[in-house]
Amino acid sequence: MNAVSELYNRIENLHLWEKSVVLERNQYLAEYGAVEKKLYYVVSGSLKVCMRDGKEEHIVRFGYQGDFITALDSFISGKPSDFYIQAIKRTEVKVISKAAYLSFVALNPANRQLWQDMLEQLVLQQLEREKDMLTSSPKDRYQRVLKRSPQLFQQIPHKHIASYLRMAPETLSRLKKS
Amino acid sequence: MINVEELLTELAGLTRQHIHTVQSFKQLPPETLNRKPAAGGWSILECVEHLNRYGDFYVPEIELRIQNSKRRPSTVFKPGLLGNYFAKSMLPKERLNKMKTFKSMDPADSALDPSVLDKFIDQQEQLLQLLEASRQTDLTRVKTSISISKWIKLRLGDTLRVVIYHNLRHIVQAQKLL
Repeated sequence: MNAVSELYNRIENLHLWEKSVVLERNQYLAEYGAVEKKLYYVVSGSLKVCMRDGKEEHIVRFGYQGDFITALDSFISGKPSDFYIQAIKRTEVKVISKAAYLSFVALNPANRQLWQDMLEQLVLQQLEREKDMLTSSPKDRYQRVLKRSPQLFQQIPHKHIASYLRMAPETLSRLKKS
Repeated sequence: MINVEELLTELAGLTRQHIHTVQSFKQLPPETLNRKPAAGGWSILECVEHLNRYGDFYVPEIELRIQNSKRRPSTVFKPGLLGNYFAKSMLPKERLNKMKTFKSMDPADSALDPSVLDKFIDQQEQLLQLLEASRQTDLTRVKTSISISKWIKLRLGDTLRVVIYHNLRHIVQAQKLL
């Protein structure tokens, strides 16, 4: 079993979830400039993690069913987050407080290992994302992401995928057809 | 847009060829069937067993979706973005390109006897019937699950292409061992 589902099961078995929350489309899970004190697990639906750049919004990452999600910069540093998290469609998440989660992780070496495994996977994913960003050809960026996470194209609306790929929706349409 | 008649004729033709080739493997001595290439990789029986494992998933899945569909037949099929991508990536290239497999689908190191060939032929006969049955439905609007991801569904026409092009891929691989 992978680290994510194992962590979820352990938290579930210890009844550590504080509550479930249902977000309507476009509702915020975390706001820009807030200090993150929660960790979330996506039960259903999907979310986007974004940063604002002047008037433009850049999508940094998506959260799908079966993922953990949080404003990670703030979760780790304790400082206000540069990101916000918004539901793309009606989304249900389970909530655990950062404090409860950190004591859960400290509970035993196995939990610590799982958290480390998950963070390592995240680092690898972020490095792939950094390669995306440094890939200048839109076509190559599109093909990298198509190969890496095909499910994106069935779960996330076109305009959000275009934003994630840093291209105009029209460019993405053209690439999809080619 | 693809003409349904042409597509199903192509896929049925390939499937008949696959049956024919595997029939001819039955004449070979067990040593030949089990011989692994010096450079590493699967034996003939391992190639066929790998296809059987996918068949175990796809034959009942496709059958179920065709039976439960209430769609009227259509003479054209429109491939989906992902389905088209997966189908094309299955087709063997000039120099056979290596792909990763899933552990549960890797037959290496399991005890295999020539009965895997009979099982393959049985499955392909069923697949021929399903190709025939799929004329009575809409290859674009009927969707099937796939074995590799819970989160992706493909159009029936794409699933048939993926499965049969994947068969082709490994039948070509097996033939190269002779």
